[in-house]
Amino acid sequence: MFRKILIANRGEIALRIIWACRELGIKTVAIYSTADRDSLHVRFADEDVCIGPPRNVDSYLKIGAVIAAAEITDADAIHPGYGFLAESAHFAEVCEACHIRFIGPSPNVIRLMGDKARAREAAAAAGIPVLPGSKGAVMTDQEAIRLASRIGYPIIVKASAGGGGRGMRIVLSAEQLVPALSAARTEAQAAFGVPDVYLEKYLRNPRHIEFQVLGDSFGNVVHLGERECSIQRRHQKILEESPSTALSPKLRRRMSEAALKLARSAGYQNAGTLEFLLDEDGRFYFMEMNTRIQVEHPVTEMVTGIDLIKEQIKIAAGESLGFRQEDIVHTGHAIECRVNAEDPVTLLPSPGTITTFHLPGGPGVRIDTAAHPECRIPPFYDSMIAKLITRGNNRMEAISRMRRSLEVMVVEGIRTNIPLHRRILNDPDFVRGNLDTGFLDRLLEQKEDAVAAS
Amino acid sequence: MILDDEIKELMRYIESSSFTEFEIEREGFKLKLVRRLPHESNGQAAAAPVAADAVGPPAQAPAAAMTAARVAEAEPADIHQVMSPIVGTFYRSTAPDAKPFVNTGDRVSKGQVLCIVEAMKLMNEIESDCDGEVLEVLVANGQPVEYGEPLFKLRTSGARAV
Repeated sequence: MFRKILIANRGEIALRIIWACRELGIKTVAIYSTADRDSLHVRFADEDVCIGPPRNVDSYLKIGAVIAAAEITDADAIHPGYGFLAESAHFAEVCEACHIRFIGPSPNVIRLMGDKARAREAAAAAGIPVLPGSKGAVMTDQEAIRLASRIGYPIIVKASAGGGGRGMRIVLSAEQLVPALSAARTEAQAAFGVPDVYLEKYLRNPRHIEFQVLGDSFGNVVHLGERECSIQRRHQKILEESPSTALSPKLRRRMSEAALKLARSAGYQNAGTLEFLLDEDGRFYFMEMNTRIQVEHPVTEMVTGIDLIKEQIKIAAGESLGFRQEDIVHTGHAIECRVNAEDPVTLLPSPGTITTFHLPGGPGVRIDTAAHPECRIPPFYDSMIAKLITRGNNRMEAISRMRRSLEVMVVEGIRTNIPLHRRILNDPDFVRGNLDTGFLDRLLEQKEDAVAAS
Repeated sequence: MILDDEIKELMRYIESSSFTEFEIEREGFKLKLVRRLPHESNGQAAAAPVAADAVGPPAQAPAAAMTAARVAEAEPADIHQVMSPIVGTFYRSTAPDAKPFVNTGDRVSKGQVLCIVEAMKLMNEIESDCDGEVLEVLVANGQPVEYGEPLFKLRTSGARAV
């Protein structure tokens, strides 16, 4: 088992990793930019190293600085968290070259799944349903036009090196295609350094269903069930739950088998998530795979009782999974609300200093946060300040626990999206489980109509 | 002027209190004491004694979970600290048996190499950002340093780089 792990991240996930390390008796090293000098992850780690100024590219994304910090503290492993360098195959390779264990899958698997076009090909080759689309990146406009008319509009142009909802263009008809290709390529080059784009059939308002998998270094791969993540705005998730109201046991079996098939064919190790789109007719299609721990992992932890971060560490340390598929039991229902520092109406980020901070508690309530009274929310990083997770014996209990928790969660000094979450939790369609990726846009439109009508 | 004994007495008093920060200023003298939670930082043990003030004889701090830090405002305007731009290990010379790049008392010019900070097997030469005289070498040879860590104290002469 590792002696010391360096956490190449910040905020709530850095704390989350520290908790797991403490339970396993592993020493921790926090790294931080000057903007995070007073952060909780720095205070609670056993050691800390300042690695740069506030900007990501000068600190949390600076591979040399992260590795140097691991060297001077003699860390034997690095946990990358999510975002930042978590899906950088290059970073994983540098760790290996420096004899530091990267807690995640191998660089080759990261690279394969990180290239979204190649991942589609791998899924198709493994016999998993993929959305009709290009076999890989489209090289010429002529090729794209031919392909698009065969697939049928609407189609979506996506950056091969993208992911997480960035670098995409929806094309409703043939005239829009060429300009969309050009725009997407330019964006892809700027954002990801690679202009390659691929095409996919665009489903209007599908459901976003993802499966959590874990694989060890002995070839054992298991799935831990699904998470419903359809409540999104601009492809950013804000509320997730498990299980999904859309999955019958039969559909769950088919989808989980598809997830395991792809994970096994890729020789997947450590934690990963396979994202699917589910259309209204119950057909599912592979979309992409995330080769890292995800923000919404607590939802799965709450319904399975399995600590995913500890499993990641144990797998990376060479241990075999301590359980088989049949040992994994799902009980109850869990929901997670991402609390962001943003204006609930304009949805613009709202950095600043938190003055009052009161958290809910009681049965079935979990908070993952690095915020605290008097803490500054800097403008340099993403706006999520806390994850509020509730668990109930059934969905209605999870919902009522979330409602009463949101009602007493007090965050002053900055604006948050807590009012938006309260609206979602009280929405009739949400309560009925009628969800799709258009849900949040429709809900937000309703409010505008109400305001306009008044 | 506060005498050594007075400083020791003060630190004993602060240590047994629940204060986490204490600052006192008199003519030509300023002292700030900060209580740090027991925890290592870059391998520097919190128990290392540190000198307290700018004027007068150096105080002997009791070994404790406290450090006495000199406050920047007390420094004359021509004192400049060269800080590490990267994380790594600090070396005073290019090789274990080579002469140090600079010693206390040396005059240096802007751009002159003062030391090496090694990271990932790469030897990064750290240059002075101003002309001046080396007053103090703040880090021991072979010690780890973090981003922004003060390495050298210089007395500047002439224009300073921003």
